[in-house]
Amino acid sequence: MSDEARVGIVLVSHSAALAQGTAEVAGQIGGGSVVIAAAGGTDDGGIGTSIARVRRAVQYADAGAGVVILPDLGSSVLTVRALLAEEEFDGPVALADAPFVEGAVAATVTAAAGGDVKAVLQAAEEARHARKL
Amino acid sequence: MPGSCEAAITLTGDLHARPAGSLAVMAAKFQSVVELTVGVHTADAKSVLAVMGLGATRGQQITVRAAGPDAAEAVTALIGVLAEATPVGG
Repeated sequence: MSDEARVGIVLVSHSAALAQGTAEVAGQIGGGSVVIAAAGGTDDGGIGTSIARVRRAVQYADAGAGVVILPDLGSSVLTVRALLAEEEFDGPVALADAPFVEGAVAATVTAAAGGDVKAVLQAAEEARHARKL
Repeated sequence: MPGSCEAAITLTGDLHARPAGSLAVMAAKFQSVVELTVGVHTADAKSVLAVMGLGATRGQQITVRAAGPDAAEAVTALIGVLAEATPVGG
């Protein structure tokens, strides 16, 4: 299993710092074997989302096993949907309906263990039910 | 041959996010169902968020229980991760 490509994770946020910081946390917990690409902020670095940044992140994160995308809020979802509607990627790409930080951590751990896109997506979405306390 | 197996270890450090991640990644490599129990709380070892939700701290006893075709190997591997990972913290 360790020789196979891992599913990549793309974090789409209105804030470049939020996407990058969440990627760092998830990468630490997941042990560093998964590509986590941060796509935060607008093209000029402001608060918002960028379809071009998301496209580059998906291309970067796909190591051959596909990609799971986690959006933070609102128009992050719209931006990802617009991209997926207009573009075909090489591998499977799934959009997760999940809490951003917990979903990113759960998805990364499942990807690190060799889970496929379906398993990684499920791990992210199940994060909604995890109790913190 | 499906079977079940369990072992316990006393934590030498708190079960922080990073060791929880190491545990979940290791647990997911096995076919067996693997659970961790601390006190009255039990978590699916393959769910990093559930493992973190145990809130296990130094000095507590944690029991690893597995059921399935590779139960013994799973318990040995997870006890190994627990012994190695918890003093580091993080």
